[in-house]
Amino acid sequence: MLSLWLRRLPIDRIERLRERTTAPLVVYGKRGNAELLTAIDDAAERLGLTPGVALAQARAMHPGIEAIAEDAEADSQLLDNIADWCLRYTPLVACYPPDGLLLDISGCAHLYGGEDALVADLSGRLEKAGLAYRIAIAGTIGAAWAAAHHGAPGSYRCGEERALLSPLPLAALRLEPGTVAALARVGLKRIGDMIDLPRAPLTARFGPELLRQLDRALGQEHEPLNPRLPVAPYVAEQRFAEPIAREQDVLASVARLAGRLKLALERRGDGARRIELTLFRTDGEVRRLAAGTSRPLRNPAAIRALFVERLHALSDALDPGFGFDMARLSVLTAEPCPARDQAEWVPVSRPDRAQNYKDRTRSDAKPVPTFADRVLVQIGIGGAEDQTELDRLVDRLSARLGARRVRQLIAQDSHIPEIAGACMPAQMTGTDNGWDAFRRYRAQAELSPRPLRLLTRPEPIEAVAEVPDGPPLRFRWRRALHEVIAAEGPERIEGAWWSEHGGPARDYFRVEDKAGLRFWLFRAGLYRDLAQGAAAPSWFLHGTFA
Amino acid sequence: MIAQLRQSLRALEKPAGIDTDAGCLPFGVPAIDAALAGGLARGALHEIAAAGEAHLAAAAGFALGLAPSGARLVWIAEDMALAESGAPYGPGLDAFGLAPERLLTVAAAHQRDLLWAMEEALRCRAVAVVIGELRHGAIDPVAVRRLSLAAAQGGALALLLRGSPPHDASTAATRWIVSAAPSSPSPGWGGSPSEARRDGVAYDKKSSPPPVRLRSASADDLPLSGGGERESCFAVQLTRNRRGPLGAWTLQWSDDDERFVPATHAQPVAAPAADRPHRKVA
Repeated sequence: MLSLWLRRLPIDRIERLRERTTAPLVVYGKRGNAELLTAIDDAAERLGLTPGVALAQARAMHPGIEAIAEDAEADSQLLDNIADWCLRYTPLVACYPPDGLLLDISGCAHLYGGEDALVADLSGRLEKAGLAYRIAIAGTIGAAWAAAHHGAPGSYRCGEERALLSPLPLAALRLEPGTVAALARVGLKRIGDMIDLPRAPLTARFGPELLRQLDRALGQEHEPLNPRLPVAPYVAEQRFAEPIAREQDVLASVARLAGRLKLALERRGDGARRIELTLFRTDGEVRRLAAGTSRPLRNPAAIRALFVERLHALSDALDPGFGFDMARLSVLTAEPCPARDQAEWVPVSRPDRAQNYKDRTRSDAKPVPTFADRVLVQIGIGGAEDQTELDRLVDRLSARLGARRVRQLIAQDSHIPEIAGACMPAQMTGTDNGWDAFRRYRAQAELSPRPLRLLTRPEPIEAVAEVPDGPPLRFRWRRALHEVIAAEGPERIEGAWWSEHGGPARDYFRVEDKAGLRFWLFRAGLYRDLAQGAAAPSWFLHGTFA
Repeated sequence: MIAQLRQSLRALEKPAGIDTDAGCLPFGVPAIDAALAGGLARGALHEIAAAGEAHLAAAAGFALGLAPSGARLVWIAEDMALAESGAPYGPGLDAFGLAPERLLTVAAAHQRDLLWAMEEALRCRAVAVVIGELRHGAIDPVAVRRLSLAAAQGGALALLLRGSPPHDASTAATRWIVSAAPSSPSPGWGGSPSEARRDGVAYDKKSSPPPVRLRSASADDLPLSGGGERESCFAVQLTRNRRGPLGAWTLQWSDDDERFVPATHAQPVAAPAADRPHRKVA
């Protein structure tokens, strides 16, 4: 377990953004009702200031200091960025706000040539970024944290926790300040002072938290790490000796990594539903691109094709800066997938698609059907192969435009028109989506016609009706006046009476105006339900017929 | 002889590299099929323009009516179009004779995305009809050409739906201007006053006649069940046709047959031009 403490994160953040000045720099923030120093730089430290001193007092002592208000949001943003960037060492990175990171490097260190080499690599990068840090490695989270914050930074083996913790102050156990003060009052200052004391009286006096933290630091109780990002079930990564910057190179490495993922996926019979490409820039920036698929997928060429679209869709270019020195492809969501499905995927990439298509049409060329009558055409009406083709289209469109823009219609079991027909991202829907049931219902209930297009929100219209409950004679919609020459209705649709926000009952009319335009209007509310003296129900236009 | 010549001419007109004749979709209306030399050509781009913004729904209905039933459809529209004229509504499509589960709707942020998505969809062999809805603005002739080529490659029917009649030249195979037409009064209706009297509100016979009902009503309170239904009518104008003469027709959507039929109350329209009048004799 590696604990990284960025001990002057706010100061470093400010100094990264501006030119270095000679004046001592302090950062202050409001704690309770007082403005206290929260972080100070080396020069201020030499003056004898410490965090926690009141800002007014510090200013009185040293009028020359420069004080800047804290920006907790920017700090946590920077910490997140550093955490992202630490993903290059291990997928298990947890933030420990406000200024710490925990990295589970078990089984990862040898990739960098051992723990020392990893720490050297990490320190080098942090120094280049101008961040003050302390790094400690120990067997447990608690011990690593204690060593980084209060002890001597370095690498400690498993089993050394007791020796490591004993000389450290009790604050190193991540206790409440109140508990630490109470322990100090009874003469317990170091962890070694209480490590062998009888447990029952300690718990009785100071609560269970004290011993839990001690047990966790000693490794007698497990402490879970809460990673910032979910850990992907399948990961493949590649480091480059020379940073890559061109799009082709990125795509080539995607294909290579996908090839490696394919082996791992095949072994367990899985396919990827959601894939993420993480690109680590040499200067510490991290780019993450995710692409979804509508069916489990493990063909490298198909995965590459998804990222071709994904890269095209970036509004700003990939912006490689000085290049990417590492790429990682992770499968965020995997689902079981039968092997035979994968065989049908034809690897087709952008430039050679037309060629490929022609080849295929030749190979299965059929005699041109004659269309004596309005016949069903053979193209686009089913077959497993068509479904595969369509899934590929959906994936391409979703990767480029976003999954929420590519939708399919679904039928829902509701009598309220806008709920009965809804849209769902096509990658999440099945093949039927409830329409078979809807058709049975429509036939049975003799549902009156529904409009071809439904407005997202019914639009208010000014309507004049001959009789209060009758259809409108004329109405004005979007400033245009429509004279109704024919109407059908009403079809009464009750609101959701079981809900507080169900709305009133609606009387729907299908009307046709002089020009032949056909609309679906409704009156919200019934005259019969009106309270005495209330305003007349209002009219809305909800959809248009062909 | 002439038919042979026409055939060879058509073969010459085809872009290079496309060797399959995708066939055509007959309308079922003899006059139109004759003008289109058999029907609407598949593997080609057709422009369908609404006569005005208000007629966009009719134009969309006409475009959907062209799709063979059971076909896989992709409807691509800009965000704005979906917000302004509403999104395709499943139950309505179902009533129109299309299977909603076979429709894929794509919302594009810009015209560029829309054209790209149309091209992608046209290249997909599983898609039979691609409808692109372009409400405003001109369209680059190069883009139209690209779409035509993509359609020819995939053999799908490409329909470009436009909000207003375009004036620009186009390489599309046909261009239609569609507007809604008043539906025919079916026999035996014409609202009786008793229908209008409900909830104790009397109807005054002397004032202007009430809106007639689309269906002949029974004595029940809700005049919705049974009766003859008025069917949607379209006034379509063929203003560009690469295969034959132009024309104008009034069509009616027949719900039972799920196809267009000539409107029974066809209003007098100008006689269809026998030849293309704009083409001068050399």
